[in-house]
Formats: sequence, structure tokens, C-alpha cells
Amino acid sequence: MMEYAITICEGPTCIGRHADRLRAILLEELAKRGLKDHVRINISGCLGMCHKGPFLVVNPGYTIYGGVTESDIPVIVEEHIVKDRPIARLAVQEDHLFNRFYRIFGDVGFFGKQMRITLRNCGIIDPENIDDYLALRGYEALAKVLTEMTPQQVIAEVKQSGLRGRGGAGFPTGLKWELTAKQPGPEKYVICNADEGDPGAFMDRSAIEGDPHTILEGMIIGGYAIGSNHGIVYIRAEYPLAVRRLEIAIQQARQHNLLGKGILGTNFDFDIEIRLGAGAFVCGEETALIQSIEGARGMPRPRPPFPATSGLFGKPTLINNVETWANIPVIILEGAKWFSSIGTETSKGTKVFALAGCVVNTGLVEVPMGTTIRQVVYDIGGGIPGGKRLTAVQTGGPSGGCLPESYLDTPVDYESLAKAGSIMGSGGMIVMDETACMVDVARFFLEFTQSESCGKCTPCREGTKRMLEILERIVQGKGRPGDIERLERLGNMIKKASLCGLGQSAPNPVLSTIRHFRDEYQQHIEQKRCPAGVCKALLTYTITDACVGCGACKKVCPVGAISGTKKEKHVIDQAKCIRCGQCYTTCKFNAISRS
Amino acid sequence: MVTPLDLIRKKRAEAVSRIIGKGYLAAKRVYVGMATCEIAAGSKEVMEVFKQAIAKGIVKDVYLSQKGCAGRCNLEPTVEVIETGKMPVRYGRIDADKARQIIEKHLKGGQVIEEWVIG
Repeated sequence: MMEYAITICEGPTCIGRHADRLRAILLEELAKRGLKDHVRINISGCLGMCHKGPFLVVNPGYTIYGGVTESDIPVIVEEHIVKDRPIARLAVQEDHLFNRFYRIFGDVGFFGKQMRITLRNCGIIDPENIDDYLALRGYEALAKVLTEMTPQQVIAEVKQSGLRGRGGAGFPTGLKWELTAKQPGPEKYVICNADEGDPGAFMDRSAIEGDPHTILEGMIIGGYAIGSNHGIVYIRAEYPLAVRRLEIAIQQARQHNLLGKGILGTNFDFDIEIRLGAGAFVCGEETALIQSIEGARGMPRPRPPFPATSGLFGKPTLINNVETWANIPVIILEGAKWFSSIGTETSKGTKVFALAGCVVNTGLVEVPMGTTIRQVVYDIGGGIPGGKRLTAVQTGGPSGGCLPESYLDTPVDYESLAKAGSIMGSGGMIVMDETACMVDVARFFLEFTQSESCGKCTPCREGTKRMLEILERIVQGKGRPGDIERLERLGNMIKKASLCGLGQSAPNPVLSTIRHFRDEYQQHIEQKRCPAGVCKALLTYTITDACVGCGACKKVCPVGAISGTKKEKHVIDQAKCIRCGQCYTTCKFNAISRS
Repeated sequence: MVTPLDLIRKKRAEAVSRIIGKGYLAAKRVYVGMATCEIAAGSKEVMEVFKQAIAKGIVKDVYLSQKGCAGRCNLEPTVEVIETGKMPVRYGRIDADKARQIIEKHLKGGQVIEEWVIG
């Protein structure tokens, strides 16, 4: 008897067609025949084949049964599962670009619930071999564009897809392309922004390291659409492997006449070069990035003019994020209509998140827009380890905000996240449990943006410094009445008056934590208490009656603050205690209390 | 006239035959995660174990390839063993020693080591 895994798509459309009922019948049928131990049932999120739903995928072999009815179930079990004879009559041929990923990973819960469009090849192909990419319809989108589409048609397709910038701001990509294409003159630039700088974010690095050709293909199509011959990938030097794989990919693409002069026998020329950034956070901002490529100090400048009209070396420039570029070949091959069927009214397609922090399954997650944060954290992420309680989910890195438990049902789309007080951002998602102090988290992110502020405009340079000073004194137990209001006033001022996105978003972590966790701030300021037990200066360690006098804490204390005789209760000298917490973690009898 | 689409279809066919020429149709295909994150977790040593085993002829009829990161951070390094007609087997948290055991038990003995499998 062979082992099988059957995946049932329970995306919204398939549920609407009673996929859950089919699952119940399937389980019944398997139980009746005593096959339960041989067949594993998985439930997946939307797999993008809505028009064929409800459907089942039987592995191994990746047979897709579409338009399945209740009476088909016994037939599938009898023929395919028992006799190992796939049923051609019910099988549908869906050669989606991302099928291959699911062939290998579709029955793993963590992956099955995702929808992999931009990451479709990550983890299944050799990124250093163009053959692996070509074999999976690689560069076919480029060939299609060069064969049957005018630049205007390409732009119309991207516009119709509803794709928006994945760097975080969400500007409609097609519109950006159109604006750049309209500019006169033969000299234009295409840039891929791979200056990923959010602490804890690694979406772009993984995408480039796993499938560099997708990004190149997207850029070449972009060059064709706007009439440019010159592409640049701006990537930080601290991603050496990603840089090397890009170099290899560019070299191989040139050998195959996919880059360079007369691409694929046409008269279209396009080449791509790599520019390394030194790792300044502000260089992710497009105007600062352009300055950095030009050899100047990476500092933003006021917009307009936007790069679309006057960008690199004063020429029209099309600049998109890594993930945005990776969507382009899919849109061309699968069609704008299909792409726009995924997601919400205003946000189409999928979004990649780097899921990190206090969550069981950390990793890269790609989900359709409109998926709720709760689904990402619990269904895919597996929830919070150690039975702890979730305090907040941080999205958007240092430019984003913290959302509390009550906001977990916020769908992932540009507007909903902004309304909740955070932002989509480039895709950082950090889960925090009860051991995280919201004031300290806000201080951490602000410390980052403050040190990364380029110093050009006063609100960002001076404002973030003042805000950080206030936060530092709060966590030191020196907070003053009115500090919360001062932070709010400063924060709103910085948001309104800063020159670029860095300053305009830097107060978000502080403002969102004040909005959702105001009582934590109040406890820090008024009662000099850190409820999460994080802010060292506000903690007091005492030994309770549970102490058996084993002496372990005395031994581990680095400053000799603990005294007591063996088998008797020990005492901590508060004047000597440096609140390092070593006694707390060492004690086996829970006899040390922290408050 | 030869269109770019014709050209790319030809390239695709050539690429497939080159991959097959490298032994893709072997009985077992082994993929080792080799992104920065996987390498940091120790996947280079794992890769080396498989490479050596093939070079020394300890295992035969195995196609070995590197791959990028699928995104399973806390279970890296990851290794997949894929056999036609069978469920792909995905191993997590593999080190050099576990790789040797995969070679012995799974590749040679046909025995999946369940406790390391990512479900």
C-alpha cells in the first residue's frame, strides 16, 4: 500500500463551493475503507486555481482533481488511492509557475497554507545554474513580451494587474512604469532596490539567493516597457552570497543572449550592473539610493521631481523593489486578470513576510493579500511557543508599528495596516510575547532610526534624538509626567515635517505603542514599574520563603550581593544588586521574585 | 522567422537535456539548502558529506544539487530526498553526522528517518 497526501484547497472560493464538506466526506470514505493511516489530509490556503475549485491535489504525482463533486470522492479513493490509478477524466492540467514548489512542499503545513508566487522557485532550484530556471519556464515571460507585446501593452498589463510597490509604500507599479515610459529621450535607467535594511528582515536576500534570474527577468521586461537599456541592482555589500549569485546569474544571462545587445534576436539592448551599498538604512529611500549610485553621499532630496522624470544622473529612472520585480514574470505569463483575482480590493497578489520572534515556525512566508495577521502567526507560524501569551505583532520594521492581540484579525493589505496604526512595509513581521516590554521595543526601533538618520533635515535629526532621550529616561525609571504627550507631539511633528520616508515613519513604533499600550507607558512613568520585567532599572529581585538555602544564587551572583547560610533563606542586598537576573534564571525553586 | 518565443523554447529544451545529462533522472535526487542562513546553520559541511559519498561511490544513482532557502528558518539546514513515485522527504536540522546516517539508512537502505522529517 502506497502512502498518499491529499491537499484540499480551502481558500475562500473553494469554501464557498463546500470544500469543507468534501473534506468530511473524504475522511469518512477513508475511515470506512481503513485507509486513514495511509493518507494524510492537508488543508491549504488559496492556491490560485479558483476557477477549477473545489479541487484536491493528490501526492505523490501532483495530480490535481478540479471541479470535484461529492460523488467523485469514492471514485478517487477507489481508483487512485486503492488501485494507484490516477483518473484522467477528473484530472485538470494546470501548469502554473508555482506548481513545482507545491509538488515538493505542498503537503507540509507551513508551506501548504502559503501561496508562493514570487518565491515560487526559492528552495527548489539551483540558483547558480540558469538551466534550472530555464527549465521552469524561465525567461519565457521576456520572450513573450519581445514576441507579442508592445511596450504599451506590457505597461497596460502591469497596470491592470493592480501590482503595487512591495518596498512598503505601495505606489501602483503600472502607473510608475507609465510615467517613466512617457518621458522623452533615449537615456533611461531601471533600478532594482535591494537595499534591505530593516532589522530582522531577510525577504530580499532569500529571494535573490534562491532565484536571482526572476529579478533579472523582471528588470529586463521593465527596461523594454519604458525604453531603457541600462539596469542597476543596488544591493548592500553585507549580502556577499546574494551579490555573488547575482553576478553569476548576470554572466549566464549574457551567455544566453538574455542580456546585452540584440536580446533573443531582436533589436532590444539591455544590460544590468551591480552597485554595492555600504549599508546605510537611508539608502533604501529612492532619492538617497540614486545619490549613492552617483557617487555622492546617500542623502534624500525633496520630491518632486520624482525619479520617473529626473532620477539617476538627471535621467528618467524606474525604481522598484526586489519583490516587485519578482512578480513581473508571473504577471506576464499568468496574466493580469489571474493576478488581480488574488488579494483584496485595493491590494492585489501576495506579500512575503519574514516571520520572526516568539513564534514556533519562524521563516519566510508568502500569503495572498487579505490574509489576517492571526492566520500568519497561528496557522502558518504555529502560534507562540511555551504556552505564553501574545502581546504584539510588529510589522514594517523601524518604520512600522506594534499591533496588539485585539488587532490580529487585521487583513494584510496596505490600507488596513495603515488604519491600524502600522504599515505594510517591506515585510518584517516580529511576534512578541508577554516577555517583551512595549516601551523598550519602541526605544529599540527609535534608537535604530535615530542612528540611521542622515541628518539632512532638522525634524528627523533633532526630533528623533529628543524622542529617544525621553524614551531612555522612561526605561531608566526617570520618566516625568507629560512625557507621553511630549512623545506624541514630537512624533506627529516629525512625521509631518521630515523630508523623506525615514523621518516620516520613524515615530511609528513609538506612536503605535502609545496608542495600543498606553498603560505600559503610564506604569513605567508613574509607578516606575516595567510589567514585562525587561527594563533593568525598574526591577527589584527579592528572595521568597520558597528558598531552601541551596546557595546556587549566591554562587552565581557576580557582585556578591547575596548572602545567607546554608539551608536557610538567603537575602539580596538591594544596594549592591545590579539586576542582571542571573539569580532569577539560576534558581531551581522559583524562590526569586522579580517585580 | 524565428521569434524570441521559439528561441526560448529551444533554450528550455536544451536546458532540460543538460540537466538530464547531469543525472537528473537518477533514482534519488538530494537537495541541500545553501543560502546564507543555511550555510550559517552548517549546510556546507552537510553538502560536503553528500559530495564525498557520491565521489567515493558510496552511493550510486543519486543526483545532488544545492538550492536556495525555502524559508524554514528554525529547521535549517534542510535536505530533501526526492524519489519518483514517492512522497518527497524533507529533513530538517541536519548536520554532517545526520547526513551520514541519511546516506546509510535512506539512500542506501531505503529507510526514511522519520524523527528528522519536517511534517
